[in-house]
Amino acid sequence: MGVFVVRRLTVSFLILIASTFLMFALVSASGDPLGDLRLDTSPNRQQKIEQRTEQLHLDKSVPQRYLIWAGGVVKCVVPGQDCDLGTTIRGQDVTSLLKQAMGVTFRLVTAALVLAILLGVTVGIVSSLRQYSGFDYTITFSAFLFFSLPVFWVAVLLKQYLAIGVNNWYADPVISLGFGVVFALLSGFTWGAVIGGDRRRKWIIRGVAAVLTFALLYYLQAVDWFTHPALGPGLIIVLALGSAVVVTALVAGLTHRSVLNACLVTAGVGGLAQFFVTPWLQDPKWASWTNILLLAVIAVIVAAVIGYLMGGLDRPQAIRATILTALATGFFIVVDQLLRAVPSYSDIVGGRILATIGSSTPNFDGTFWESQLDTFTHLLLPTLSILLISYATYSRYSRATMLDTMHQDYVRTARAKGLTERTVVMRHAFRNALIPLTTLAAFDFGALISGAIITETIFGWRGMGVLFVNGLAQSDPYPVMGFYIVTAISVVVFNMLADMSYAYLDPRIRLT
Amino acid sequence: MPDIQSEDVAVTGPIAEAGPLTSIEREFTIQARTQREMVIRRFFRHRGAMGGLIVFAFVLVLAYSSIGILGLPGWWHQSYETTGTVQNGGAMSLDLLPPFVDGDGLAIGNHPFGQDDVGRDYFALTMRGTQISVLIAVSVGIISTVLGVVVGAFSGFYRGATESTLMRLTDLMLTIPLLVLAAVIGQISGGTPLLLALVLGLVLWPNLARLVRGEFLSLREKEFVEAARAMGAPDSRIIFRHILPNTLGTIIVNATLTISAAIILETALSFLGFGVQAPDTSLGKLISDYQTAFQTRPWLFWWPGLFIVAIALSVNFIGDGLRDAFDPKQTRVRA
Amino acid sequence: MADAMNLTGTISADEPIESRRERGEGPLLEVRDLTVKFPTEDGIVNAVRGVSYSLAEREVLGIVGESGSGKSVSSLAVMGLLPKSAQIAGQILLEGRDVLRMSQKQQRSLRGRKIGMIFQDPMTALNPVYTVGDQLAEAVRSHEAISRRSALARATEMLELVGIPRPKERLRAYPHEFSGGMRQRAMIAMAVINNPDVIIADEPTTALDVTVQAQILEKLMEVKDAVNAAIVLITHDLGVVAGMANRVLVMYAGRPVESGTTAQVFASPRMPYAAGLLGSIPSLETAGARLRPIPGAPPSLINLPSGCPFSPRCPLARAKCQEIEPALYSTDQLEHVAACHYWEELADLDDPTSIFRAQGVPAQ
Repeated sequence: MGVFVVRRLTVSFLILIASTFLMFALVSASGDPLGDLRLDTSPNRQQKIEQRTEQLHLDKSVPQRYLIWAGGVVKCVVPGQDCDLGTTIRGQDVTSLLKQAMGVTFRLVTAALVLAILLGVTVGIVSSLRQYSGFDYTITFSAFLFFSLPVFWVAVLLKQYLAIGVNNWYADPVISLGFGVVFALLSGFTWGAVIGGDRRRKWIIRGVAAVLTFALLYYLQAVDWFTHPALGPGLIIVLALGSAVVVTALVAGLTHRSVLNACLVTAGVGGLAQFFVTPWLQDPKWASWTNILLLAVIAVIVAAVIGYLMGGLDRPQAIRATILTALATGFFIVVDQLLRAVPSYSDIVGGRILATIGSSTPNFDGTFWESQLDTFTHLLLPTLSILLISYATYSRYSRATMLDTMHQDYVRTARAKGLTERTVVMRHAFRNALIPLTTLAAFDFGALISGAIITETIFGWRGMGVLFVNGLAQSDPYPVMGFYIVTAISVVVFNMLADMSYAYLDPRIRLT
Repeated sequence: MPDIQSEDVAVTGPIAEAGPLTSIEREFTIQARTQREMVIRRFFRHRGAMGGLIVFAFVLVLAYSSIGILGLPGWWHQSYETTGTVQNGGAMSLDLLPPFVDGDGLAIGNHPFGQDDVGRDYFALTMRGTQISVLIAVSVGIISTVLGVVVGAFSGFYRGATESTLMRLTDLMLTIPLLVLAAVIGQISGGTPLLLALVLGLVLWPNLARLVRGEFLSLREKEFVEAARAMGAPDSRIIFRHILPNTLGTIIVNATLTISAAIILETALSFLGFGVQAPDTSLGKLISDYQTAFQTRPWLFWWPGLFIVAIALSVNFIGDGLRDAFDPKQTRVRA
Repeated sequence: MADAMNLTGTISADEPIESRRERGEGPLLEVRDLTVKFPTEDGIVNAVRGVSYSLAEREVLGIVGESGSGKSVSSLAVMGLLPKSAQIAGQILLEGRDVLRMSQKQQRSLRGRKIGMIFQDPMTALNPVYTVGDQLAEAVRSHEAISRRSALARATEMLELVGIPRPKERLRAYPHEFSGGMRQRAMIAMAVINNPDVIIADEPTTALDVTVQAQILEKLMEVKDAVNAAIVLITHDLGVVAGMANRVLVMYAGRPVESGTTAQVFASPRMPYAAGLLGSIPSLETAGARLRPIPGAPPSLINLPSGCPFSPRCPLARAKCQEIEPALYSTDQLEHVAACHYWEELADLDDPTSIFRAQGVPAQ
């Protein structure tokens, strides 16, 4: 393993050198950094030209400039030295610009990546299990549709129409009858597809789910939930117990009583714990991400202990399941806190809760939860724009690989051994279908970055994408290179992680 | 040699085609002929692909015939270049709603898609943008396919140093995010459509090269290649007459998908300003030019966008149909 | 619910299997008039058209046929492993209870426990991402609530039974680390780990080297005696059948065309197809003479011609053969049946395989 990492790093380093040189040459050829100055009519024109030439090393040849720049990059990793990634046309230091921009872009890309994988893979698997059903056709077609949409069009669409629509609606949150009916029907059909069963059962589930959804929508409206949302302690406990059941069904199968009981106990403990945890979370001095992480670690440890004690014959599965249940319960508690901050947040931003410009509200001054909410509402639309297309890729691909594995001989052998369908699908088929998905993730990462560039431009974020676009448009080489070096390194790291996961998942591949 | 057939394979097609083994030459020429017919038949049965084909053909005919091409006049009376007075705030004169639903009946009017800020007919502009975007996309598809096949074939067949160098180059290009590389190269190329097509073709070939190389790697080990060598066939004959026809499926499918990727890439580039530039126009540029007006004049946003989606979607469906046609393992069993 | 429907006249499937165990009388497994159809884009494929056979305890039944004869599909039907779109008719009686009328849960409890199956290609039949020990333990734990450690101990015993050296270490190995023969042994271990009454072996040696084939077959017979099971051996290789089977069932175009003891069918085939199969094997006795293959190809299972499906290739075919499909006629030998209108002509010949003469040489 160590040998692999070292070898990979060396190769990646060489690739980095080659690709950065290629980019540097191309960027230098793409425009004249002195272009605007040549048209300048002010008296100190010559002076300005000389100043910029010196700052950007324009008097030297391209390879020389590259070496100077590369030297500056190397200084980043040498202890005691500062990064020197050059300056922009206007004399700003690229390194500090980059530092600000990186966090912003990182948020966007990570959110889109995680959600795309979770949603895409889940939907793809469910769709493959219900092949040729109405649900499958709808999902496949919609994935097809999303895959054919240009990111910039989707982003502009969301920005112009969805954001304004939602904000207008929020001023007076009334659910129209048409929307209510359509939403309830969609929910009914989705539940029917996910739970499955014979025709009669599916129609019962569809009907019940639709009616319940419809009733829920109007109930929420009646209690004014949309302006003052919260989950409430009771609902948190119910959700925790529900997730205990779902996790057990996925990890071990509901017939494994010991696992189910362990998860239910975990959910119960978590549900009770909220009464202690909530006051801490609301205390402004205490609420921070480090403390939340600390709580999560404690929750995981407690859950593992419960799983160990109650697991019986299925101990390893029980521990996995209880940990997931604990994390789910914690998630609901956090969501509850976020929701409670909505009314005060709405007051601060004057009722326009879905933001369209920037990555956060400027000069924002609010509680911890309000600022998290702020980040979230600004993140929503750009992530959605990139997500739509990435999700489509993942769902199509995971559906295809899942269908492929389900037709493999070893799945037939698993059935011949008398295993339950759930075990066959999750333990045998899905586990093998995961393997090619790692390669897809490596490929898709580049697409995510491209998407981020476009959405940052449209939504006015001050991220790396904007550095790139503005730099390229103004023939400003160093911010473009700054963007590129960060991007290239993250692609390399991501590819290496993908390869390592591939080797972990597939015992036929051993990292040499 | 055919693999041992089990019942599962026999179920999916006419058994009668499995005959006694003949000499190698006869075996694969016979297969190629019937295979081609089967592929074509399966393709035309694919409803999505047929739909895509119809839509794509319709868009092409509409775009190229309405305003004409290369000096030949079209049937649409407005030009995309003449400015004029803005009528009705540039609103659409197209009406599809029948009278009883608050419309004027089917009417096209002078400016069915409306007008832009300086009074140009938006329908003509959209058509012009479609022409350019499709031209670029198809050219990029062809160029990148040719490049990809050449690189993939040579590296997969010859291996050794040729393969190493070519594959390093391919991998290098694959590590750079597509939009980044395309934007920089687009900026260098200036913005004329044909030049842009050329340089974009230089960006999209690596994926196909990898796939073709993979196919060549596995196919060159097959017995029919050994047999051809034993008969004294030179390398070029082996590559073009024996291996390449077997990779045709992968190549055609990927060429189609490259076209659809190319149109999305080109419109994105033109949107950002690194693609097609004035005086030409592209569907992406149209959306970028009028960004600020979408609140009040949404048709300026919808029409170019819908055309992009229509083209990309229809080409994707065609590609999907081709993929299913070439891959016989996906036989559908009616439930 | 299917359980309550008493269509077959047998005892309702709700009672536990144990109480129905016959004591050495009556067939262990009886298949009656099994028909399997698959709807496809090109039409309905009649993969199996009326198969009947019975299997007694510890008996070895060989099912022989070409690809497309329906031999594998009929066995998959017995296991309940056909896709949902398959239309299955007939009865499959395991210890007197109809498998086809059972609920999914009951069928599942039979699979891997009462009936074990060994598949053709052990490389693809074993899951590449789990160790052999895990896959064996899984087979045990899906039917019994025991700890992982106990299951692995049983797995070790099984690996020893099938002749894999150093079984304890091998538990932690992955399938790709085994040789072809060892993988097939592991598959055999997996099929018998729960002491089944019936083992279905679908072309167990086809994917293996010739030298390994004999070892595996021998081991299979040893294992069969060790766990007291009957075997249904599906193959296209007559040599395999000759060495191992007590009785033979020859299938063609989805139907059985000849059935009898191995000695009967091999020494005196009464159906031209069986004769042709026997005649096409090279042997020391026919050394020097030309081989006598059966000309032509099997028919399409979608558009079956009327009459006997073998008639286009049969040297004895006459008008009647093309009109009426022969039923399984009883022949002059006990329990030897053949689906041929003119089986008596075949019975009169000294060498039935001679009807497939190589070109130009007159028949004797």
